[in-house]
Amino acid sequence: MKKVMIIAVVLISLQSCKAVKEYDMQKINDTTMKLSAQTTERYETAFQVYREAAAGANGGKTGGGCGCN
Amino acid sequence: MKKLIIYSLILFSGLSFAQVKDSIVYKKRVLENTEVDFLLSYYKQDGVHSAVSGGMGSEDLTDVASNIVVSMPLNDDDILTVDAGISAYTSASSSNINPYDKINTNPWQASSGASQSDQLTSLVVNYSHSSDDRNFVWNADISFSNEYDYTSFGFGGGVAKLFNNKNTELSLKANVYLDQWRPIYPKELIDYADNKFYYNVLDENGNITSAYNPSLFSTLDKVNRNSYSATFGFSQVATKNMQFSLFFDVIQQQSLLSTPYHRVYFADKTDYYVGQAQYIPVYETTQNQGVYKLADDIERLPDSRTKIPVGARLNYYLNERVTIRTYYRYYWDNWDITSHTASIEVPIKLSDKFTVFPMYRYYTQQQSKYFAGFEKHLSTEQYYTSDYDLSTFNANQYGFGVNYVDIFTNFQIWKFGLKNIDFRFNHYTRSDGLNANIASIGFKFVM
Repeated sequence: MKKVMIIAVVLISLQSCKAVKEYDMQKINDTTMKLSAQTTERYETAFQVYREAAAGANGGKTGGGCGCN
Repeated sequence: MKKLIIYSLILFSGLSFAQVKDSIVYKKRVLENTEVDFLLSYYKQDGVHSAVSGGMGSEDLTDVASNIVVSMPLNDDDILTVDAGISAYTSASSSNINPYDKINTNPWQASSGASQSDQLTSLVVNYSHSSDDRNFVWNADISFSNEYDYTSFGFGGGVAKLFNNKNTELSLKANVYLDQWRPIYPKELIDYADNKFYYNVLDENGNITSAYNPSLFSTLDKVNRNSYSATFGFSQVATKNMQFSLFFDVIQQQSLLSTPYHRVYFADKTDYYVGQAQYIPVYETTQNQGVYKLADDIERLPDSRTKIPVGARLNYYLNERVTIRTYYRYYWDNWDITSHTASIEVPIKLSDKFTVFPMYRYYTQQQSKYFAGFEKHLSTEQYYTSDYDLSTFNANQYGFGVNYVDIFTNFQIWKFGLKNIDFRFNHYTRSDGLNANIASIGFKFVM
């Protein structure tokens, strides 16, 4: 599984060696392709941080607040 | 000759003006107009493992939160964002910090005490600057939040560099949060410590006794909690249809990392109760309508925690109608918790204005070495908690969203036109019996 993931990442990286031109970025610039969470998703992220031990690596807050209710 | 020189000067002047004109590159504003987001969410949960009651009891909680986010372009390059929020909650679990102000005290029903409800207010101010070629961005932020027993102050900043024709982005972000507890303790423990303990205590057989002595309990010396985090990000446009990003965080927390009002009951200590003796045999069931067990101590956890989450997003534009958005995260911390998170969201465009997106998220974690369930810890241990948020479980979350976009902003309120509405609903179910529903809606207006 680990090997498959490494190969996948390498393959994707190799493809990216050829830069996509700005005029070809119509699909990449589509609002659904954003590489960040949706604005209203912040509330789900907040309760997940409260109810689960894991946090971070998702663009959400990584500290501040007790998360105790 | 004089005329020739004058003509030459005029011509050169013209040329030089033309050169200046040619060198002006059109610079698009980073943000064209002021944008205002009105966000609202409603969250409701219930479960059977209240940490306030030592790992059992009602976890009924309702939270209503709202935020107003205003993003203002200060000039072509700079944006100021102000995010103000308020959230109000009622909680059966935290109401039982003092469960003795109701006639039929028990861990399955809310008490009417002050800790039954609270409000959280927050403010985040962010300033960002983009370079002329839009390939470099820096930002700085400060934040503040406050609730009855907790205040948080934070600050941070970050940089992002784009290159390879904006196909690649590297970013670095750092944040510091300096938080302060104003601890409140389980009522019986703080009353005992303050020599105000006047309860009619029952032993395991229902007989009145004066033997209750929570000798392990003492109030906390350190009441601050500091969090330091660094985030490294890498994103890459892979093809015309696909892009991905990788995140790597390092988070360090220090000082008071436990919650002062979480009870712990030890397996090697005698049980004492307040209430009606006939409910003692059914204490751990919902048939218990009238007795509450007195705590042995509050949860105790180390004063340091290091968290390392690594995450990745991969988005694929399948066709004009369908996009596939995926996310994965691996998490590790030095309290021996490991977890995996995976989610998928599939936006489907129904028309130019409407997009629906079904979504699913799976989460699984292995428990902290400091966790044990209700009355499973021993009093000889150094650290202990019965908070099921730190236990082994898996969780499934599924739901849907609807997005409405009006690029012409036809609907107007004062000077603002409605640009889009975003609605999401999700159901969350955890393998330890906790269930939750969350609905959120956002309205984006542009000036």
